[in-house]
Amino acid sequence: MRIILIGYGVVGQSLTQIFTQRRAELIKNYGFHPRVVAIVDRRGAAVNPKGLNLEKTLSLKAERNTVAAHHERGHPGMSALNVIENVDAETIVEATPTNIKDGEPGLSHIKTALKTGKHVVTTNKGPLALALPVLTELANYNKAYLKFSGTVGGGTPVLDLAKRCLMGDRILSIRGILNGTTNYILTEMDGRHITFEEALNNAQKLGYAEANPSMDVDGLDAACKLVIMANWIMNKRVTLKDVSIQGIRNVTLQALKEAAKRDCTIKLIGSINEKLKVAPTEISKQDPLCVGGVLNAVTFVSEFAGEETIVGRGAGGMETASAILRDLLDIKQNLATRLMS
Amino acid sequence: MKRVVMKFGGTSVGNGEHIRHVASLISNHLNKDYQMVVVISALKRVTDKLIEASKEAKSGNRDHVHKLLQKTTKKHVAAARNAIKNKQIRDEVEQTLKTILDELEKVLTGIIYLGELTPKSKDYVLSFGERMSTLIVWGALRDLGLNVQYFTGKDAGIVTDSNFGEARPLIKVTLHEVKQKVEPLLEKGIIPVVTGYIAANQDGEITTLGRGGSDYTATIIAAALEADEVWIWTDVDGLMTSDPKIVPSTKVISELSFQEAIELAIFGAKAMHPKALEPAMEKEVPVRIRNTFNPQSLGTLIVKEQKIKAKDVVKGTTIIKNLALINISGAGMVGTPGTAAKVFDMLGKNNINVLMISQSASEANISFILHRDGLERAVSTLEIALLGSGLIREVTAEDDVCVVAVVGAGMKGTPGVAARLFGAIARKGLNVRMIAQGSSELNISFVVKETDGEKAVRAIHEEFKL
Ligand SMILES: NC(=O)c1ccc[n+]([C@@H]2O[C@H](COP(=O)([O-])OP(=O)(O)OC[C@H]3O[C@@H](n4cnc5c(N)ncnc54)[C@H](OP(=O)(O)O)[C@@H]3O)[C@@H](O)[C@H]2O)c1
Repeated sequence: MRIILIGYGVVGQSLTQIFTQRRAELIKNYGFHPRVVAIVDRRGAAVNPKGLNLEKTLSLKAERNTVAAHHERGHPGMSALNVIENVDAETIVEATPTNIKDGEPGLSHIKTALKTGKHVVTTNKGPLALALPVLTELANYNKAYLKFSGTVGGGTPVLDLAKRCLMGDRILSIRGILNGTTNYILTEMDGRHITFEEALNNAQKLGYAEANPSMDVDGLDAACKLVIMANWIMNKRVTLKDVSIQGIRNVTLQALKEAAKRDCTIKLIGSINEKLKVAPTEISKQDPLCVGGVLNAVTFVSEFAGEETIVGRGAGGMETASAILRDLLDIKQNLATRLMS
Repeated sequence: MKRVVMKFGGTSVGNGEHIRHVASLISNHLNKDYQMVVVISALKRVTDKLIEASKEAKSGNRDHVHKLLQKTTKKHVAAARNAIKNKQIRDEVEQTLKTILDELEKVLTGIIYLGELTPKSKDYVLSFGERMSTLIVWGALRDLGLNVQYFTGKDAGIVTDSNFGEARPLIKVTLHEVKQKVEPLLEKGIIPVVTGYIAANQDGEITTLGRGGSDYTATIIAAALEADEVWIWTDVDGLMTSDPKIVPSTKVISELSFQEAIELAIFGAKAMHPKALEPAMEKEVPVRIRNTFNPQSLGTLIVKEQKIKAKDVVKGTTIIKNLALINISGAGMVGTPGTAAKVFDMLGKNNINVLMISQSASEANISFILHRDGLERAVSTLEIALLGSGLIREVTAEDDVCVVAVVGAGMKGTPGVAARLFGAIARKGLNVRMIAQGSSELNISFVVKETDGEKAVRAIHEEFKL
């Protein structure tokens, strides 16, 4: 399968690492031969219609900071849109930074890909949180697949658990810890009795939190994931503005102490019932949802199967790339059936 | 009295002087007791310019369209002025040209406003090339005092389906209509001058005949009139034994059969499009390819069947470049009947055109040839569809191959031709990657590295003394 990779940061590079490490196995076990025909970062693109040498692009990115420095295949200044429109491929992988103001540049990348009949796999929450209903319609109209397993739970198959494993059942509500950074901060505050500021500081030192931590600590990242789950799993046509959002900046040590007395703690919980809500919430320490550190956990309440909770790392380059790989394999299988029917 | 349909290509009517020359060629034959129908292509490069203009119009580039229109006007007016001496005729032609060009401008303006170019409107735009060139030739013939009448393909009775851009004639209707409309003129000694390439569907909407265009018009008309011969006037002396750029000693093939001509065309010789040969072959009208600029030469005659002389088993050899080879292999294909059929069916549905196939006796291997620009898509499609199905293990590709074809009806039933052929290739140290023989046995084609292609053609030329 010919793949265009847009965004060559942590996630994009991890994906190409998996491709190089698992090449033979992917062909043998899954009949999947990924040919990355273009990679784009902010400075330009590298393009090879037969497939780029990924060891080379990885070392170029590490040493020269851009794939556009490729001496035969590099196109400095070539934009992602230009590549999507002009390079032949079956699928694009969109892994540029999340932007929840207008979804760009990811939103345009995804729209253009769908309009030109390319399938899309993305880990970028911004475009989906703002416009998932729009993108789904575009995808259906153009007979293209749009997959985004990596947007919720990183490598942990949260969406697939609900959509596939609970197929036929009806999911009534969802609750979950959807953000690893805030969970780390709250776990530290509770366990080591340090303030929010101190815990945030530690998280930043460990690389769990960004220099600008707003997406995480103000609950926006969790809210994006909630929107994606509501649309995909529960068929609610909602976007980010339908979520009531409260972050963890105001969670005090005092409040955590009070909760501990009741064998409880405070977690940033996203929930979907009639309404969508992200807020610090007191939960029992015995609740399967109550996981520590950077872990994520999601509980699905379904009509027949009851409560199911899935726990996992929730983020990370390799983890998220593994979700992309799952989506790609799924597309390959669907296409094979389509082609041979 | 001999009835001949003559077609003149774009180079033959490249400018005013050439058109005058063409007119005198026609008039010379009139004195020799010929009944003639003349079919005319657009002036050289005009069709390309019209395609460009319609694309620019679609993109809304008003200025560029305007420039192209001006150039087109200038070219045709100049041609008319040089081709026609008589002032009255010239004025009349120029006046009509202006009307036609006004119409063209309106059509292009419409496309600019709509921002849309449908196959139907594209055909309409393209029709202007032949409408103008034919008008000028008509004037030049009148200038020499000939009794002529101008026809568009539509007026001459060519009725097609509505597959704009590559329309197919409703052949029975067309043969009937053309005979009714054109034959009475011949009997009256009038020369019909007909636009090549363009026709109309049954609702009268303009269509074009696509590849082989004007040649096709000529053979359709010849079939309808049961003509004695079709003469395709062009700028070369005829079909060649191979490309003169590769083999300097290349000769004109004086006579060959329709089948041979078709095989040569399929395998890339600069020849008539097989589609255009069909009507002539059907009605057994011989086709002669002649050089407008060397009318003494009799050119190449294409006939129904031809006596095979022992010494010329091979008629010609051609080369098709820009090809690629794909090989799919895997033990899973052995004993799974229908795999190959399934694979090619799938490729066909996905518009991937396969030129040549060979399957190894063990069945564990299928190789095939396709155009190079479709290679990556083909490989990817095959991998998506077949890898992991248990049928195949891998898909590999080579993008530096070419096909060399050897054509000649005499090869059939002449033992040892293949041995001689591949012996000659082997002596040059060339490695043959794949061989296929058409079921007609009129051709043997094989695949070599592109860099070896021309050497192979020269080796064959030497061996069979072409
Ligand atoms: N990391 C995770 O654990 C994780 C988990 C789940 C989802 N995600 C999501 O996945 C996406 C990628 O994450 P990441 O961690 O890989 O981010 P990252 O390391 O910041 O990488 C982003 C990449 O996008 C490129 N980029 C930015 N703007 C671009 C543009 N206009 N055109 C082309 N390329 C552009 C950047 O180019 P330069 O290299 O030139 O700067 C960079 O290569 C984000 O949306 C993120 O939210 C990440």
